[in-house]
Amino acid sequence: MGHHHPGSVSPLRTLTAAVRHHRDRNVGPVKTVKLPRRKLDFFASVLQRFGELHAPVARNGHFVFQRVRRWSEARLEYTRTELPPKKYFLPPRETLFRFTPGKGYVPESEDLDRRIVLLGVHACDIYSLNILDLVFNGKYPDPYYQTRRRNIALIGVDCIPDQRCFCRSMRADTVEQGFDLFFYDIGDYYLTLVGTALGDDMVLAAGELFESVTPDDVAEYKRRSQERHQRFQLDVEIRDLPEIFEMEYGSEIWEELGAKCLSCGSCSMVCPTCYCYDVADETQLGSTAGRRVRTWDSCLFATHAAVAGGENFRHSRASRVKFRFYHKQRGFVAEYGRPSCVGCGRCSAVCPVGIDIIEVINRLRGVEYAETEHAATR
Amino acid sequence: MQATKPTVGIFGLTGCAGDQLVILNCEDELLSLVDVVDIRDFLMAASGGDEFSTLDIAFVEGAVMTRRDEEKLQRIRRRAKALVAIGTCALQGGVPAMADGLDWPSAVRDVYGPEGDGFDALPARALHECVEVDFSLPGCPIEKHEFLGAVADLLNGNPPQLPTYAVCTECKMRECDCLLVDQGRFCHGPLTRAGCRARCPSYAVPCVGCRGPVPDPNLGSAMDVYTSKGWSPEEVVQRLRTFGPLPTPVPAGEAA
Ligand code: SF4
Ligand code: SF4
Ligand code: SF4
Ligand code: SF4
Ligand code: SF4
Repeated sequence: MGHHHPGSVSPLRTLTAAVRHHRDRNVGPVKTVKLPRRKLDFFASVLQRFGELHAPVARNGHFVFQRVRRWSEARLEYTRTELPPKKYFLPPRETLFRFTPGKGYVPESEDLDRRIVLLGVHACDIYSLNILDLVFNGKYPDPYYQTRRRNIALIGVDCIPDQRCFCRSMRADTVEQGFDLFFYDIGDYYLTLVGTALGDDMVLAAGELFESVTPDDVAEYKRRSQERHQRFQLDVEIRDLPEIFEMEYGSEIWEELGAKCLSCGSCSMVCPTCYCYDVADETQLGSTAGRRVRTWDSCLFATHAAVAGGENFRHSRASRVKFRFYHKQRGFVAEYGRPSCVGCGRCSAVCPVGIDIIEVINRLRGVEYAETEHAATR
Repeated sequence: MQATKPTVGIFGLTGCAGDQLVILNCEDELLSLVDVVDIRDFLMAASGGDEFSTLDIAFVEGAVMTRRDEEKLQRIRRRAKALVAIGTCALQGGVPAMADGLDWPSAVRDVYGPEGDGFDALPARALHECVEVDFSLPGCPIEKHEFLGAVADLLNGNPPQLPTYAVCTECKMRECDCLLVDQGRFCHGPLTRAGCRARCPSYAVPCVGCRGPVPDPNLGSAMDVYTSKGWSPEEVVQRLRTFGPLPTPVPAGEAA
């Protein structure tokens, strides 16, 4: 890999290794091959053998991951999708099981076995899944998530940062694992990193399509990698951020943000690492049989910290906005060793009142908020 | 099945009957519904309802706009163990409540001429302004899945489960384009209670707030958003009042 971050943390590696282990034997040192760009559609048809092909497609000037039936629909040079790939692993709404009095529970597994190949996932979004693994493969394993994680293959693709991307600051601009294949655009070819045995099988299934990499290809990869590095327009320092959050617990900024926030929930919905959900039972007409459903939830909702008896731990809007930032930038670091933010820029893009995570962090740090021009020239 | 089925009545005051129509349109589920409940009174479906028996659940649509409405509602209240307001008119007055704040007698005369003076027409009131309401199902009209879910919940002795978050949340779940942020159109989504699965934005039509406000609307901040996009404060208030009075402003930070 071109650039390795000394800051990346080991619990991730251990846990994602655990996920990977059921998928395959480890392929050892990373294998690199290349695919001629004009053969991509052909490779896409090969991939259909490994599952339904899903990729980013354009919808009214935005991008969404969805099933592609013709390769021409896919848009690999996209910026960011409305929802991250999280929706495949933790759907916005899903039935967990059905229950019938006297008969017990029947897990809902209909959708779980669907084999999908997600092609065109950016590094930050792959990184976010590695972060979700920490949660759903951790102390309270989630079989629904885990099954989907096993059945959905990931093919990454590199990207050019736009004015909202700050994944580099969040150490999520590259991933070392969590993908089956990763494509780097090097002009007429995609330099292809093989991440797992499944990825290797995909390459093998393509027969003669892939070629070996030459020193010139590597040189071109490095040149583009450097160029991409310089294209970042945003920069934020996350070292000692948890400590600063600790010191700024009483900052007036939280009241200010609380006065602005509409509690609309958009920021949590689009966040690739927000994993809160709500569980409720839906009964059938005239019986106590029914199903248990889980739905995405958000700590911005007034109900998120409401408990039986009418108490609410985060009654005020300000305390809820604050909680969102603290959970990502402080609480998660304490528990898992890194922030649960990958710098994808989605939350700032969707917020109707313009609450911007970069601005919040910089203000807490006492750094002037400016779209750091120097970042582009470094 | 129990020997005696729970009794249900479905009533309309001043409204468009849209909510009752939603119930009638539950075609597939209507048979299971009459299987488990005894519908005593549903004028829209059958005439000659029984007017006196006790009802386990009464669903009432429409706003209170006449003395007759008020008396009818009180009679229903006396018969019903649980009274459920259905639809935005019943919950908060609905479109007729747009007239709130007008000088009523002269408004009636403007519309009907001198004969208006004798009309039994009152400013629109929500049901809870006249009688005690146990549960509410919002929407203009209500959502079929919420109605059926509410009946199931009530029969099991549980309060109906309804989302209290905003339409934006469901809009994002469906990956609709944001009409407010990206297109600068007047969308009520952030202030409006979800449950319709963001129907309008999913067709690229801004939400007009037909389900009424979320329990803790941040009106002050929303006003800033709309005015920064070019609407005058008067126009914002007018638009937000399409389906009833403005929710009582809750100072930021104090919303429950
Ligand atoms: S907090 Fe915002 S920038 Fe960070 S991962 Fe979530 S949506 Fe992306
Ligand atoms: S607590 Fe808030 S910030 Fe943390 S995962 Fe849940 S919704 Fe996201
Ligand atoms: S998107 Fe903005 S307004 Fe909406 S809940 Fe998040 S911070 Fe609040
Ligand atoms: S289109 Fe309307 S409902 Fe949807 S996210 Fe935007 S403001 Fe909210
Ligand atoms: S999107 Fe808004 S206007 Fe449309 S049905 Fe839902 S609440 Fe009503």
